[in-house]
Amino acid sequence: MTKSARLLAVLALIASSAAGQGNRVSPILIRNATVLTVTRGTLTGTDLLLQNGRIAAIGTGLVAPNGATIIDATGRYVMPGIIDPHSHLMVDAINEGSLSVTSMVRIADVLNPTSVGIHRALAGGVTTINILHGSANTIGGQNATVKLKDGRSASEMLFPGAMPGIKFALGENVTRKNSNTVIVQGQPQAPRRYPTSRMGQAEVLRDAFVRARDYRADWDDFRARTARGQRGLVAPRRDLELEPLVEVLDGKRLVHAHSYRADEMLMLLDLADEFGFKVKTLQHGLEGYKIAPEIAKHGAGLSTFADSWSYKIEAYDAIPYNVAILMRHGVVATINSDSDERIRRLNIDAAKMMRYGGLTEEEALRTITYNGALQLGVQDRVGSIEVGKDADLAIWSGHPFSVYSRVDATLIDGEVFFDRSREAAEQAELARERAVLEKAEPNMVPGGPGRAGRAPPTPTGENN
Amino acid sequence: MVHSLRPIGAVAFGTLAAFPLAAQRNVPATYAITNARLVPVSAPVIERGTIVVRNGLIVALGVNQAVPADARVIDGAGLSVYPGFIDAHGTLGIPSPPAGGGGAAAARPSAPNSSYPVGLQPEMRVLDQLRADESGFASAHAAGITTALTAQGAGVFRGQSAVISLGGEEVSAMVVKAPIAQHVGFSIGGGGGARSGYPGSLMGVFAALRQELLDAQSYRAEQAAYNSSNARGMRRPDRDPSLDALQPVLERQIPIVFFANSQREIERALDLAQEFNLRAMIAGGSEAWRVAARLKRENVPVLLSVNFPRRTTAPAAEADPDPIRVLRERVEAPKGPSLLAQAGVRFAFQSGASSALGEFLPNVRRAVDNGLSPDVALRALTLGSAEILGVADRLGSLEEGKIANLTITRGDVFSREARVTQVFVDGRAFTIPDSPAPAAAAGGARGAAPPPSARTATGTWTVNVEIDGTTHAVTLALRQDGDKLTGTMQGAMGSGEIQNGSIGTDGEFRFTATITIRDGTEEGIFVGLLDNNALRGGVSIVGHALGRFSGTRPDANAPTATPRRPSTR
Repeated sequence: MTKSARLLAVLALIASSAAGQGNRVSPILIRNATVLTVTRGTLTGTDLLLQNGRIAAIGTGLVAPNGATIIDATGRYVMPGIIDPHSHLMVDAINEGSLSVTSMVRIADVLNPTSVGIHRALAGGVTTINILHGSANTIGGQNATVKLKDGRSASEMLFPGAMPGIKFALGENVTRKNSNTVIVQGQPQAPRRYPTSRMGQAEVLRDAFVRARDYRADWDDFRARTARGQRGLVAPRRDLELEPLVEVLDGKRLVHAHSYRADEMLMLLDLADEFGFKVKTLQHGLEGYKIAPEIAKHGAGLSTFADSWSYKIEAYDAIPYNVAILMRHGVVATINSDSDERIRRLNIDAAKMMRYGGLTEEEALRTITYNGALQLGVQDRVGSIEVGKDADLAIWSGHPFSVYSRVDATLIDGEVFFDRSREAAEQAELARERAVLEKAEPNMVPGGPGRAGRAPPTPTGENN
Repeated sequence: MVHSLRPIGAVAFGTLAAFPLAAQRNVPATYAITNARLVPVSAPVIERGTIVVRNGLIVALGVNQAVPADARVIDGAGLSVYPGFIDAHGTLGIPSPPAGGGGAAAARPSAPNSSYPVGLQPEMRVLDQLRADESGFASAHAAGITTALTAQGAGVFRGQSAVISLGGEEVSAMVVKAPIAQHVGFSIGGGGGARSGYPGSLMGVFAALRQELLDAQSYRAEQAAYNSSNARGMRRPDRDPSLDALQPVLERQIPIVFFANSQREIERALDLAQEFNLRAMIAGGSEAWRVAARLKRENVPVLLSVNFPRRTTAPAAEADPDPIRVLRERVEAPKGPSLLAQAGVRFAFQSGASSALGEFLPNVRRAVDNGLSPDVALRALTLGSAEILGVADRLGSLEEGKIANLTITRGDVFSREARVTQVFVDGRAFTIPDSPAPAAAAGGARGAAPPPSARTATGTWTVNVEIDGTTHAVTLALRQDGDKLTGTMQGAMGSGEIQNGSIGTDGEFRFTATITIRDGTEEGIFVGLLDNNALRGGVSIVGHALGRFSGTRPDANAPTATPRRPSTR
């Protein structure tokens, strides 16, 4: 039995047993792997025991408990599941752009757990994503941190205990420099939405946080009076727009701010200092390298592209050394995809960081693993391979920074959610199912000859 | 279109036209249907019996039932008499706005006393929009439908529905019970088109629903505090009809019906109902069977559409094949009723769209062909439906004292040869004319879906989308259900389902789609106009210049097959 055939058989067994037992997962012992722990160096010839969804043991010569599935990873690399801090995967809506402040809307309300993109991301070794509201307005909606448990319901995919967050956006996307309102003949055109300048964006933020402070004071007053035993009080109206901003002021909600230019980032950091909250991440932040000490001083992280620039005016000053310069100044920096397509190859984008700016292999790995966990507030659960952490892993055919390597399997909470050895069989099964479905009556052209899909019309009119 | 349908009673009352009072009462005649097969639903079938109808009510039925002297006798030999079928959710009785007349605005009178915008006004009453128009019910009667739950079909909070009898010369005489429920749709745009403003996305819809329900809760607390004894010194709280209208919903006095078809829409609806402890119902429910266990556990009934999805047009030659998900959905949907019944979920049938009435009974038969027991199917058309809608005390079965809404067929309703010959509505008889095309009236021919009309977006479209000077070819497979637009977009910008689609009666449509362009994934908002077999419009994407799109439905005029000849086999 060849190694790959054995892996295939073993992984097939895992998948079938997992399907049969619902959420009860049997232990998995990964044997003889090269383990990229990210926080504790690279371990060769190492075994990993996964039990109850966690990494139970790391070592050599580990003994498989009863009922454990064994994966022979000889010649393979195991790394923590990749974390994408900026994604718009698996949602039915991205922007609520009608108002300048839409903190009341929640990505978690519109998750689409059936998106095919989940499978594709898993095939790139991604296990956790931060699904952000779009960048249409200054204060956007609440993001959702999700584990890509393909096939499960939306609520089962939400990352338990992840810090709540919110999207802010600055610059051209908000002022709609590159957009127009949609014009339909005969319909009045929608009025341009305030603000149309970066000055206006600062004002929107300041106004919103002043209102949030007042709102918090109203509630504090109500609670204080109630605590003093005052009776007959009517609670203040709950305001879903201001509640998340109060959480930001109280440090209970992370700010992820879409921004490009150094000046707008400095504006936001100053404004955050003024109101006493922290910006957790600057998203994109292409000019971050110009103000790396200021970003480090505030304590913000930054999440960016490896080498993507000049696609609009505010992206002209981007350089591929951005991440390296930021990391040398002590900023927690990550690479993100912002794309359902690029999410499949974040490993290569991370590898570029060794070429541009000379990050070490471990530092480059951090940009798609541990640093992302820090930015999402889940560093105690994921982002590195350590005993006690969630068993979220990607098993690669070779080193993940090689363009020739592919993901063989992706595991989340100790369960296999992607298994390349089963892909061919699954594709064949889908093709077979499609052939059957296309012949089913509801898929036929009504009144026409028996055909579906794109078969050309036949002149004979043969019915079925 | 000529309506050859008219009430038999009209002849008798013609002579009374000079006496307005009598005409207003419009007392129907007394009828006795003899020698008929009576299917009471609440009791065993009477193979050969007589049913007597007087003054709009069922007054007697049985084997040896005497025929009153004043009764008009209908020989029921070979006929089956059922409780009148109920269309458990739709817009019957609401007149369509005039074409091109700014649809949404005409159909939705504003409520100036509310502080909430159009689309978020739970105080809207469908009663205020109903029109008495018996000829308009011809196609419903032909499908055996005598009774309907009618609700506004657009918006988020859609207001209060009513159960109506599909007959009568005045609205006041049509109403069986109101309000039945509060209705909610997750659609933006309030009836299709490019309505701007909040909420402008599905996310915004949920936030707006949540905020208004929370407002209704604090409104209740404020009003209670003000109306309590120590009101003096307290500022008088504002009166708000929208928040008043939500009180019976919060107090679980009336249910809240969510229009939701996909599994995730249904789960979102159930989550929201749970969050506010509301009595939920699902309308539509094409994937309700996937959520059956939860629906059963939370005792949520489904107003189940039998307007099952199916291919309606030939695909364009250059179109990508349908996604397997779409192929599956078409095959699985007719199995849904049977699966729901097995899981113990209560459901009532609805036609799904007024354009689909001709397919109503054939589609119910498809559900039976796919494993649903005929008894359960019949209950979902009659008594089971009445129970869910809260009108079983007066409708839904053949029992003395119930409203004389009857559906009469030649042949058992579930046999393929069955034909609705007559319906009674509040004791008045409507004869269904023999259709020149029996297959259409009785719906005998499976798969004989109507061709896509110029007024519907349903079909496969070949579309070019120009963004930032680059043209992307995509295929749009659209399906229109009332004002709701669903489907898929496939091609050079990725593939996936379209979201938040709506279309107005004037052909103005809007949907969003997730597109991948220049390495980034963004949301495109498509707004356009449909004109016969062409569509065009603009697409707005954050960070990109306004794009344009135009497309055609190439297969709409092309013959999809050689003309159908009668089979010789």
